[in-house]
Amino acid sequence: MKQAINMSHLFEKLKDLKALFVYGEKLIPIIQSLVDFMKDTVPLLENINHSIADSTSKIPKASHQLNNVTSATELATTEILDLVDAVTKEVRGVEKSLKAFINSEEEKAKLFESLSPYIQGNPEALKIYEEIKLKVTAPQEINPLYESFTKIKDYAYNITLSLQVQDITAQQLAAVNHLIESVQDRLSGLISDLEINEVREFGNLSMPVPEGVTFDPNARYDKSDQNQQNVDEIIKAQSETTTQDEIDKLFS
Amino acid sequence: MKKVILVADDSPTIRKFVSFALAMKGYEILSASDGMQALEMLPSEKIDLVITDLNMPNVDGFELIKTIRSNEEFKDIPIIILSSLTSKDDIELGMEIGANSYLVKPFDSKRMLYEVSKYLN
Repeated sequence: MKQAINMSHLFEKLKDLKALFVYGEKLIPIIQSLVDFMKDTVPLLENINHSIADSTSKIPKASHQLNNVTSATELATTEILDLVDAVTKEVRGVEKSLKAFINSEEEKAKLFESLSPYIQGNPEALKIYEEIKLKVTAPQEINPLYESFTKIKDYAYNITLSLQVQDITAQQLAAVNHLIESVQDRLSGLISDLEINEVREFGNLSMPVPEGVTFDPNARYDKSDQNQQNVDEIIKAQSETTTQDEIDKLFS
Repeated sequence: MKKVILVADDSPTIRKFVSFALAMKGYEILSASDGMQALEMLPSEKIDLVITDLNMPNVDGFELIKTIRSNEEFKDIPIIILSSLTSKDDIELGMEIGANSYLVKPFDSKRMLYEVSKYLN
Protein backbone atom coordinates (compact mmCIF):
# COMPACT_ATOMS: atom_id res chain seq x y z
CA MET A 1 0.00 0.00 0.00
CA LYS A 2 2.81 2.31 0.99
CA GLN A 3 4.65 1.46 -2.24
CA ALA A 4 1.56 2.44 -4.29
CA ILE A 5 1.42 5.81 -2.52
CA ASN A 6 5.10 6.38 -3.21
CA MET A 7 4.67 5.50 -6.86
CA SER A 8 1.69 7.82 -7.13
CA HIS A 9 3.78 10.56 -5.55
CA LEU A 10 6.62 9.87 -7.98
CA PHE A 11 4.25 10.05 -10.95
CA GLU A 12 2.94 13.36 -9.69
CA LYS A 13 6.48 14.68 -9.46
CA LEU A 14 7.25 13.43 -12.94
CA LYS A 15 4.11 15.17 -14.17
CA ASP A 16 5.30 18.36 -12.58
CA LEU A 17 8.71 17.87 -14.17
CA LYS A 18 7.06 17.27 -17.53
CA ALA A 19 5.00 20.41 -17.08
CA LEU A 20 8.20 22.25 -16.26
CA PHE A 21 9.83 20.98 -19.45
CA VAL A 22 6.77 21.94 -21.44
CA TYR A 23 6.83 25.38 -19.85
CA GLY A 24 10.60 25.56 -20.45
CA GLU A 25 10.05 24.71 -24.10
CA LYS A 26 7.58 27.57 -24.32
CA LEU A 27 9.96 29.85 -22.45
CA ILE A 28 13.02 29.12 -24.59
CA PRO A 29 11.93 31.26 -27.56
CA ILE A 30 11.14 34.12 -25.21
CA ILE A 31 14.56 33.81 -23.55
CA GLN A 32 16.11 33.56 -27.01
CA SER A 33 14.40 36.75 -28.10
CA LEU A 34 15.54 38.40 -24.86
CA VAL A 35 19.12 37.36 -25.57
CA ASP A 36 18.78 38.63 -29.12
CA PHE A 37 17.38 41.88 -27.78
CA MET A 38 20.31 42.21 -25.36
CA LYS A 39 22.72 41.48 -28.19
CA ASP A 40 21.17 44.30 -30.17
CA THR A 41 20.90 46.67 -27.21
CA VAL A 42 24.39 46.35 -25.74
CA PRO A 43 26.16 47.86 -28.79
CA LEU A 44 23.50 50.56 -28.84
CA LEU A 45 24.14 51.37 -25.16
CA GLU A 46 27.86 51.35 -25.76
CA ASN A 47 27.28 53.69 -28.64
CA ILE A 48 25.27 56.01 -26.42
CA ASN A 49 27.99 55.91 -23.77
CA HIS A 50 30.63 56.72 -26.34
CA SER A 51 28.50 59.57 -27.64
CA ILE A 52 28.09 60.99 -24.14
CA ALA A 53 31.80 60.65 -23.46
CA ASP A 54 32.62 62.18 -26.83
CA SER A 55 30.23 65.10 -26.26
CA THR A 56 31.61 65.64 -22.77
CA SER A 57 35.15 65.68 -24.05
CA LYS A 58 34.21 68.28 -26.66
CA ILE A 59 32.50 70.65 -24.21
CA PRO A 60 35.71 72.16 -22.75
CA LYS A 61 36.94 72.80 -26.28
CA ALA A 62 33.65 74.51 -27.21
CA SER A 63 33.84 76.60 -24.07
CA HIS A 64 37.46 77.49 -24.78
CA GLN A 65 36.51 78.52 -28.31
CA LEU A 66 33.76 80.78 -26.97
CA ASN A 67 36.29 82.43 -24.68
CA ASN A 68 38.60 82.89 -27.65
CA VAL A 69 35.80 84.53 -29.61
CA THR A 70 35.21 86.96 -26.74
CA SER A 71 38.91 87.79 -26.48
CA ALA A 72 39.25 88.24 -30.24
CA THR A 73 36.22 90.52 -30.56
CA GLU A 74 37.39 92.47 -27.51
CA LEU A 75 40.77 93.04 -29.12
CA ALA A 76 39.26 93.92 -32.51
CA THR A 77 36.79 96.34 -30.90
CA THR A 78 39.57 98.07 -28.99
CA GLU A 79 41.57 98.41 -32.20
CA ILE A 80 38.58 99.83 -34.08
CA LEU A 81 37.93 102.28 -31.25
CA ASP A 82 41.56 103.40 -31.36
CA LEU A 83 41.20 103.99 -35.10
CA VAL A 84 37.93 105.88 -34.67
CA ASP A 85 39.62 107.93 -31.96
CA ALA A 86 42.50 108.69 -34.32
CA VAL A 87 40.13 109.63 -37.17
CA THR A 88 38.14 111.93 -34.88
CA LYS A 89 41.31 113.63 -33.67
CA GLU A 90 42.50 114.10 -37.26
CA VAL A 91 39.15 115.60 -38.26
CA ARG A 92 39.30 117.99 -35.32
CA GLY A 93 42.85 118.96 -36.34
CA VAL A 94 41.79 119.64 -39.92
CA GLU A 95 38.75 121.57 -38.69
CA LYS A 96 41.02 123.75 -36.55
CA SER A 97 43.43 124.37 -39.44
CA LEU A 98 40.51 125.20 -41.70
CA LYS A 99 39.17 127.69 -39.22
CA ALA A 100 42.60 129.35 -39.04
CA PHE A 101 42.72 129.41 -42.84
CA ILE A 102 39.26 131.03 -43.09
CA ASN A 103 40.26 133.68 -40.55
CA SER A 104 43.40 134.38 -42.54
CA GLU A 105 41.39 134.64 -45.78
CA GLU A 106 38.92 137.01 -44.15
CA GLU A 107 41.82 139.16 -42.94
CA LYS A 108 43.23 139.13 -46.47
CA ALA A 109 39.85 140.12 -47.94
CA LYS A 110 39.53 143.04 -45.53
CA LEU A 111 43.03 144.28 -46.33
CA PHE A 112 42.30 143.86 -49.96
CA GLU A 113 39.08 145.85 -49.74
CA SER A 114 40.98 148.67 -48.06
CA LEU A 115 43.18 148.87 -51.14
CA SER A 116 40.23 149.64 -53.43
CA PRO A 117 39.98 153.46 -52.94
CA TYR A 118 43.66 153.90 -53.80
CA ILE A 119 43.52 152.27 -57.18
CA GLN A 120 40.39 153.93 -58.55
CA GLY A 121 41.33 155.72 -61.78
CA ASN A 122 44.06 153.21 -62.58
CA PRO A 123 42.45 150.76 -65.02
CA GLU A 124 45.47 148.44 -65.08
CA ALA A 125 45.55 148.20 -61.28
CA LEU A 126 41.77 147.78 -61.13
CA LYS A 127 41.96 144.87 -63.58
CA ILE A 128 44.58 143.10 -61.44
CA TYR A 129 42.56 143.97 -58.31
CA GLU A 130 39.46 142.25 -59.75
CA GLU A 131 41.50 139.20 -60.77
CA ILE A 132 42.99 138.82 -57.27
CA LYS A 133 39.59 139.41 -55.67
CA LEU A 134 38.22 136.38 -57.51
CA LYS A 135 41.03 134.24 -56.08
CA VAL A 136 40.41 135.11 -52.45
CA THR A 137 38.52 132.18 -50.88
CA ALA A 138 35.13 133.15 -49.57
CA PRO A 139 33.89 131.51 -46.30
CA GLN A 140 30.77 130.20 -48.05
CA GLU A 141 33.01 128.04 -50.24
CA ILE A 142 34.43 126.36 -47.14
CA ASN A 143 31.14 125.78 -45.30
CA PRO A 144 30.27 122.52 -47.13
CA LEU A 145 33.57 121.14 -45.81
CA TYR A 146 32.47 121.95 -42.27
CA GLU A 147 29.25 120.07 -42.88
CA SER A 148 31.24 117.07 -44.09
CA PHE A 149 33.39 117.15 -40.98
CA THR A 150 30.30 117.23 -38.78
CA LYS A 151 28.96 114.21 -40.67
CA ILE A 152 32.26 112.34 -40.23
CA LYS A 153 32.17 113.04 -36.49
CA ASP A 154 28.57 111.83 -36.31
CA TYR A 155 29.50 108.64 -38.16
CA ALA A 156 32.42 108.11 -35.76
CA TYR A 157 30.07 108.60 -32.83
CA ASN A 158 27.61 106.07 -34.26
CA ILE A 159 30.44 103.59 -34.81
CA THR A 160 31.37 103.80 -31.13
CA LEU A 161 27.74 103.34 -30.15
CA SER A 162 27.39 100.26 -32.38
CA LEU A 163 30.64 98.79 -31.09
CA GLN A 164 29.09 98.44 -27.66
CA VAL A 165 27.49 95.33 -29.13
CA GLN A 166 30.78 93.61 -28.23
CA ASP A 167 30.20 94.09 -24.52
CA ILE A 168 26.65 92.77 -24.78
CA THR A 169 27.63 89.71 -26.86
CA ALA A 170 30.51 89.03 -24.46
CA GLN A 171 27.97 88.83 -21.63
CA GLN A 172 25.69 86.61 -23.70
CA LEU A 173 28.61 84.28 -24.54
CA ALA A 174 29.56 84.14 -20.87
CA ALA A 175 25.97 83.12 -20.11
CA VAL A 176 26.16 80.37 -22.78
CA ASN A 177 29.44 79.21 -21.26
CA HIS A 178 27.79 78.99 -17.89
CA LEU A 179 25.03 76.82 -19.38
CA ILE A 180 27.62 74.61 -21.07
CA GLU A 181 29.35 74.21 -17.72
CA SER A 182 26.07 73.01 -16.17
CA VAL A 183 25.54 70.50 -19.01
CA GLN A 184 29.08 69.24 -18.60
CA ASP A 185 28.58 68.73 -14.88
CA ARG A 186 25.43 66.70 -15.55
CA LEU A 187 27.12 64.60 -18.22
CA SER A 188 30.15 63.97 -16.01
CA GLY A 189 27.79 62.81 -13.25
CA LEU A 190 25.97 60.53 -15.69
CA ILE A 191 29.24 59.02 -16.89
CA SER A 192 30.33 58.33 -13.32
CA ASP A 193 27.01 56.60 -12.65
CA LEU A 194 27.39 54.40 -15.71
CA GLU A 195 30.67 53.01 -14.31
CA ILE A 196 32.02 51.97 -17.65
CA ASN A 197 35.78 52.11 -17.49
CA GLU A 198 36.47 53.30 -20.98
CA VAL A 199 33.92 56.07 -20.55
CA ARG A 200 34.74 56.90 -16.96
CA GLU A 201 38.13 58.24 -17.97
CA PHE A 202 36.34 61.30 -19.35
CA GLY A 203 34.54 61.83 -16.08
CA ASN A 204 36.95 64.31 -14.53
CA LEU A 205 37.27 66.70 -17.41
CA SER A 206 37.75 70.24 -16.31
CA MET A 207 36.47 73.13 -18.35
CA PRO A 208 38.43 76.35 -18.77
CA VAL A 209 35.83 78.80 -17.57
CA PRO A 210 37.87 81.94 -16.86
CA GLU A 211 37.99 83.08 -13.28
CA GLY A 212 36.23 86.22 -12.22
CA VAL A 213 33.87 86.36 -15.19
CA THR A 214 30.61 88.12 -14.45
CA PHE A 215 27.74 88.50 -16.83
CA ASP A 216 24.15 89.49 -17.20
CA PRO A 217 22.34 86.64 -19.01
CA ASN A 218 19.58 89.06 -20.00
CA ALA A 219 21.92 91.62 -21.60
CA ARG A 220 20.46 92.78 -24.89
CA TYR A 221 21.88 94.99 -27.61
CA ASP A 222 19.15 97.57 -27.90
CA LYS A 223 20.16 100.90 -29.37
CA SER A 224 16.75 102.42 -28.81
CA ASP A 225 16.28 104.76 -25.89
CA GLN A 226 13.52 102.57 -24.43
CA ASN A 227 15.62 100.87 -21.74
CA GLN A 228 17.01 104.19 -20.49
CA GLN A 229 13.50 105.67 -20.47
CA ASN A 230 12.26 102.74 -18.36
CA VAL A 231 15.13 103.29 -15.91
CA ASP A 232 14.39 107.02 -15.73
CA GLU A 233 10.73 106.26 -15.00
CA ILE A 234 11.62 103.79 -12.22
CA ILE A 235 13.99 106.33 -10.65
CA LYS A 236 11.39 109.07 -10.94
CA ALA A 237 8.71 106.88 -9.34
CA GLN A 238 11.16 105.87 -6.61
CA SER A 239 12.11 109.45 -5.80
CA GLU A 240 8.41 110.45 -5.71
CA THR A 241 7.70 107.58 -3.34
CA THR A 242 10.60 108.60 -1.15
CA THR A 243 9.39 112.17 -1.06
CA GLN A 244 5.87 111.04 -0.08
CA ASP A 245 7.34 108.78 2.60
CA GLU A 246 9.37 111.63 3.95
CA ILE A 247 6.29 113.89 4.03
CA ASP A 248 4.25 111.20 5.79
CA LYS A 249 7.05 110.70 8.31
CA LEU A 250 7.24 114.41 8.93
CA PHE A 251 3.54 114.72 9.72
CA SER A 252 3.09 111.46 11.60
CA MET B 1 42.66 121.65 -13.50
CA LYS B 2 41.14 118.59 -15.15
CA LYS B 3 38.34 116.80 -13.36
CA VAL B 4 39.20 113.15 -12.68
CA ILE B 5 36.69 110.38 -13.36
CA LEU B 6 37.21 106.81 -12.16
CA VAL B 7 35.62 104.18 -14.41
CA ALA B 8 35.12 100.73 -12.85
CA ASP B 9 34.09 98.04 -15.32
CA ASP B 10 35.38 94.53 -16.01
CA SER B 11 34.84 95.01 -19.75
CA PRO B 12 37.91 96.62 -21.36
CA THR B 13 35.79 97.78 -24.28
CA ILE B 14 33.36 99.63 -22.02
CA ARG B 15 36.28 101.28 -20.21
CA LYS B 16 37.56 102.33 -23.60
CA PHE B 17 34.14 103.66 -24.74
CA VAL B 18 33.74 105.73 -21.61
CA SER B 19 37.29 107.07 -21.89
CA PHE B 20 36.66 107.82 -25.56
CA ALA B 21 33.50 109.78 -24.78
CA LEU B 22 34.78 111.70 -21.76
CA ALA B 23 38.44 112.35 -22.60
CA MET B 24 37.19 114.23 -25.66
CA LYS B 25 35.50 116.70 -23.30
CA GLY B 26 38.66 117.29 -21.31
CA TYR B 27 38.12 114.94 -18.37
CA GLU B 28 40.94 112.80 -17.05
CA ILE B 29 39.96 109.15 -16.94
CA LEU B 30 41.25 106.47 -14.58
CA SER B 31 40.23 102.85 -15.11
CA ALA B 32 39.65 99.96 -12.75
CA SER B 33 38.76 96.43 -13.86
CA ASP B 34 36.68 95.67 -10.75
CA GLY B 35 35.37 97.19 -7.55
CA MET B 36 38.38 96.12 -5.52
CA GLN B 37 40.81 97.88 -7.82
CA ALA B 38 38.58 100.95 -7.76
CA LEU B 39 38.62 100.99 -3.94
CA GLU B 40 42.41 100.68 -3.98
CA MET B 41 42.67 103.66 -6.32
CA LEU B 42 40.34 105.95 -4.40
CA PRO B 43 42.73 107.01 -1.61
CA SER B 44 45.70 107.53 -3.91
CA GLU B 45 43.96 109.68 -6.52
CA LYS B 46 41.81 112.77 -6.30
CA ILE B 47 38.61 111.39 -7.79
CA ASP B 48 35.80 113.80 -8.70
CA LEU B 49 33.28 111.26 -9.98
CA VAL B 50 32.88 107.49 -10.21
CA ILE B 51 31.23 105.59 -13.06
CA THR B 52 30.67 101.96 -12.14
CA ASP B 53 29.30 98.75 -13.58
CA LEU B 54 27.27 96.52 -11.23
CA ASN B 55 28.30 93.03 -12.38
CA MET B 56 32.00 92.84 -11.57
CA PRO B 57 34.27 90.18 -10.07
CA ASN B 58 35.79 90.43 -6.57
CA VAL B 59 33.91 93.53 -5.41
CA ASP B 60 30.77 94.26 -7.42
CA GLY B 61 29.27 97.67 -8.09
CA PHE B 62 26.75 97.51 -5.24
CA GLU B 63 29.53 96.85 -2.73
CA LEU B 64 31.69 99.55 -4.26
CA ILE B 65 28.91 102.13 -3.87
CA LYS B 66 28.14 101.04 -0.31
CA THR B 67 31.82 101.26 0.65
CA ILE B 68 32.23 104.71 -0.90
CA ARG B 69 29.08 106.01 0.80
CA SER B 70 30.17 104.67 4.18
CA ASN B 71 33.59 106.32 3.99
CA GLU B 72 33.73 109.80 5.46
CA GLU B 73 36.39 110.93 3.01
CA PHE B 74 34.69 109.76 -0.18
CA LYS B 75 30.97 109.74 0.69
CA ASP B 76 30.20 112.86 -1.34
CA ILE B 77 31.73 111.69 -4.62
CA PRO B 78 28.98 111.54 -7.28
CA ILE B 79 28.42 107.99 -8.57
CA ILE B 80 26.91 107.02 -11.90
CA ILE B 81 25.91 103.40 -12.45
CA LEU B 82 26.54 102.09 -15.97
CA SER B 83 25.01 98.64 -16.26
CA SER B 84 23.12 96.27 -18.53
CA LEU B 85 20.94 95.28 -15.57
CA THR B 86 17.50 96.73 -16.18
CA SER B 87 15.32 95.05 -13.56
CA LYS B 88 13.36 97.32 -11.24
CA ASP B 89 15.00 95.72 -8.18
CA ASP B 90 18.53 96.37 -9.40
CA ILE B 91 17.75 99.97 -10.36
CA GLU B 92 15.99 100.73 -7.08
CA LEU B 93 18.71 99.06 -5.02
CA GLY B 94 21.44 100.94 -6.89
CA MET B 95 19.75 104.26 -6.24
CA GLU B 96 18.88 103.40 -2.64
CA ILE B 97 22.45 102.60 -1.68
CA GLY B 98 23.59 105.96 -2.97
CA ALA B 99 24.10 106.16 -6.74
CA ASN B 100 23.28 109.56 -8.24
CA SER B 101 22.37 108.36 -11.75
CA TYR B 102 21.73 105.10 -13.55
CA LEU B 103 22.68 104.61 -17.20
CA VAL B 104 21.86 101.52 -19.25
CA LYS B 105 24.22 99.74 -21.63
CA PRO B 106 24.52 100.23 -24.54
CA PHE B 107 24.79 103.82 -23.44
CA ASP B 108 24.40 107.05 -25.31
CA SER B 109 27.59 109.02 -24.74
CA LYS B 110 25.68 112.31 -25.06
CA ARG B 111 23.48 111.28 -22.15
CA MET B 112 26.57 110.23 -20.23
CA LEU B 113 28.20 113.61 -20.86
CA TYR B 114 25.03 115.29 -19.67
CA GLU B 115 24.99 113.26 -16.43
CA VAL B 116 28.70 113.85 -15.81
CA SER B 117 28.43 117.58 -16.44
CA LYS B 118 25.46 117.71 -14.02
CA TYR B 119 27.80 116.78 -11.16
CA LEU B 120 31.09 118.25 -12.29
CA ASN B 121 30.23 121.60 -13.81
